Amino acid sequence: MTPLRERSKLSRPRVAPTLARSLLPVAGIIVFAVLLQAALKPWLETVSGGDFYAKVLLDIGINVTLAVSLTIVNGFTGQFSIGHAAFMAVGGYTAAGIVYYGSMFAFGSAEVVGGSLSTMGDNHAGPLFRSGDLIFCISLIVGGIVAAICGFLVGLPSLRLKGDYLAIVTLGFGEIVRVLIQQSRDVSYDLEEMKQAPLVGLAQLFTQKHDDWQAPVWARLGGPLGFSGLPFYTSLFWAFLVAGITLLVAIRLKRSTFGRAFLSIREDEVASEAMGVNTTSYKVWAFVISAFFAGVAGALFAHETGIQLSAQELGFQKSFDIIIMVVLGGMGSISGAAIAAAAITILPELLRDPTKLVGWQPQIIALTILAAIVAGAFRLGGRRATPLWATALAGLSLVAITWLGYGAVKVAAATGHPLDIRLGNYRMIIFALSLILMMILRPQGLLGVREIWDKSFWNKRRPAPAAASPPPQTPAPEGTVSINKKFEPDIDPGHTGIPPSTDSD
Amino acid sequence: MPSILRVQSLSKSFGGLKAVQDFSLDLAEKDLQGLIGPNGAGKTTVFNLLTGVYKPDTGTITLDKQNITGLRPSKIAAAGLSRTFQNIRLFGELSVLDNVRLGCHVRSGGTMAGAIAHSMFNRAEEQAILARARELLGVFNLNPLEDDQARNLCYGDQRRLEIVRALATEPKVLLLDEPAAGMNPQEKKELAAAIRGLRDRFNLTILLIEHDMGLVMEICEKITVLDYGETIAVGTPKEIQTNPKVIEAYLGEAEPPEGSKAA
Repeated sequence: MTPLRERSKLSRPRVAPTLARSLLPVAGIIVFAVLLQAALKPWLETVSGGDFYAKVLLDIGINVTLAVSLTIVNGFTGQFSIGHAAFMAVGGYTAAGIVYYGSMFAFGSAEVVGGSLSTMGDNHAGPLFRSGDLIFCISLIVGGIVAAICGFLVGLPSLRLKGDYLAIVTLGFGEIVRVLIQQSRDVSYDLEEMKQAPLVGLAQLFTQKHDDWQAPVWARLGGPLGFSGLPFYTSLFWAFLVAGITLLVAIRLKRSTFGRAFLSIREDEVASEAMGVNTTSYKVWAFVISAFFAGVAGALFAHETGIQLSAQELGFQKSFDIIIMVVLGGMGSISGAAIAAAAITILPELLRDPTKLVGWQPQIIALTILAAIVAGAFRLGGRRATPLWATALAGLSLVAITWLGYGAVKVAAATGHPLDIRLGNYRMIIFALSLILMMILRPQGLLGVREIWDKSFWNKRRPAPAAASPPPQTPAPEGTVSINKKFEPDIDPGHTGIPPSTDSD
Repeated sequence: MPSILRVQSLSKSFGGLKAVQDFSLDLAEKDLQGLIGPNGAGKTTVFNLLTGVYKPDTGTITLDKQNITGLRPSKIAAAGLSRTFQNIRLFGELSVLDNVRLGCHVRSGGTMAGAIAHSMFNRAEEQAILARARELLGVFNLNPLEDDQARNLCYGDQRRLEIVRALATEPKVLLLDEPAAGMNPQEKKELAAAIRGLRDRFNLTILLIEHDMGLVMEICEKITVLDYGETIAVGTPKEIQTNPKVIEAYLGEAEPPEGSKAA
């Protein structure tokens, strides 16, 4: 049989389709992101409550990036990291420092100097990009790289540690990052004063008195109060560009020989190593790639409208939020993580008090989506096959109950005995309950390890092919005595004096 | 015949337990040898030492003139030594095809950046991996099952898949740890023929651990017998069958004749 090396030399894929497969998705992502920013956003501004929906959309983009990047560590290689928000914080603060102080030095103030693709404001005229966008773009990449370096440092202990122990290391890393950021100095708003600030080393920073103003620029990250005064560059364009690229990278990795190496580590580390996978190096790579995208997401988060970047915001609560998305979507499933990230971002928002929103009833929509998810879990629900009609019935009855409840409230209000049920107050309870229900019905998450585009996902209940059944057992040949189903195969050349032993050593 | 795997006075202790003592082995190209012994004799420990799961206390292992003693398992696999596991260790959630494709990983030469960019080379290699994996699955006619999750396969097929996955690493020497365990007589017969066939088709050198004496005696040219970590006999199947030490190791010492106790 031809060895792989020679065979790959012989394999000549056609150039045009390969290039198309390589580049078209990238072009598609860019077009999609531009359309969101240039077409959807102006339309949303004309709708009542549109700003709110645009913000939710922005959050979806960032959360998809986070969930998919965490999938690379937790889902692919099976290393349990619970410090993902720390990588976000590292990337976010790095980017914030670059953009804020970079803008101060370049433009004299930290105003947004962005084109129409990079703001959530309503300037749709003007150039697509301006000089501020360049700084922002650089900050995204540098933020990612600094986070990736931290990912490398955290990945190192994962060589020796597994499961809970590794989780504690990542938790510790998260706390270190949080505390360090909280120890940083106030943000400087004065350009002249900033220009005089010396660029001192790390040691000098810690030996100086805390109220000393003469701290280096890079140590002025706002401390416990948070980094205020940041320009809001993050737009639907940037958020979905990054989310799209993260998805693309994760999908291409998973489908490649490297993705199989990652997954094999999760499945069985000993066998993986024995098959020639350098498990050490792949585990560190997983951390590095994952941390890079978390850092970029953090940079987007830092420059998002309505966000005050602070270490508190990026504590382990945030890490757990991301883990919930990954677990709910299915450990190892990219599409699952993305869907779960979107759902988890939308649902708590929609369950909020509707009086703050104008127009339609978002809570009803939210409950309908929840019902659909629960029904979907029934349908997919692993061990016992649930027929389609039962799934549909379960889903429809949940929707019906929701609408009946809604109707009851309406009727009660109309008859002059208003029922004072504020669904918004119970939103986290409803949300948590549906998560519990989900875990009971489908502990492996929505999609398990598979992807929504996998063939096996859609026809998993097909009958096993005939070849899957074991070959019929042939009766023991003449003259062979079989006791206790312990077969003596007829290749036995005769009595050897050595009894067969079936146990292991 | 030139020697391809040479093991010289290999020893390993776990605390006070001498799991393997002074184990030596010489496999010539295209040899098919057996390693037998009662439970707890240290057969699997020998495999774990050869494949780098454990580091030997003393001794050297030479694979095709390359010293592989103390290397990490992935390096040893890359050098051309592959194995199957006694307690099946497939990647259960992955498909049958992906299990085999993972075996090809060690021979692939692409970079992660190439995979992310979908480069021409990456595409060519993925096509080659797919073709090769399908061809290898054909060895045991597992192709109809290629989309199934490995854990859903029946026991015999899981054992066969383990062999296919090991073959995908393009080994020079293949170590089989109880390949026939849990198979019925018909399957064992087919397996015996298949192991011989594999050796000829892939130019393999095979060392197998097996408790099924029929299988071992039938296909092995030379057998090494271990007991309590020590090599008690080496020889052809005929010699082993009549070796008193081997019989003693398996059946215990002959009862002293009646009355000898009283005397």
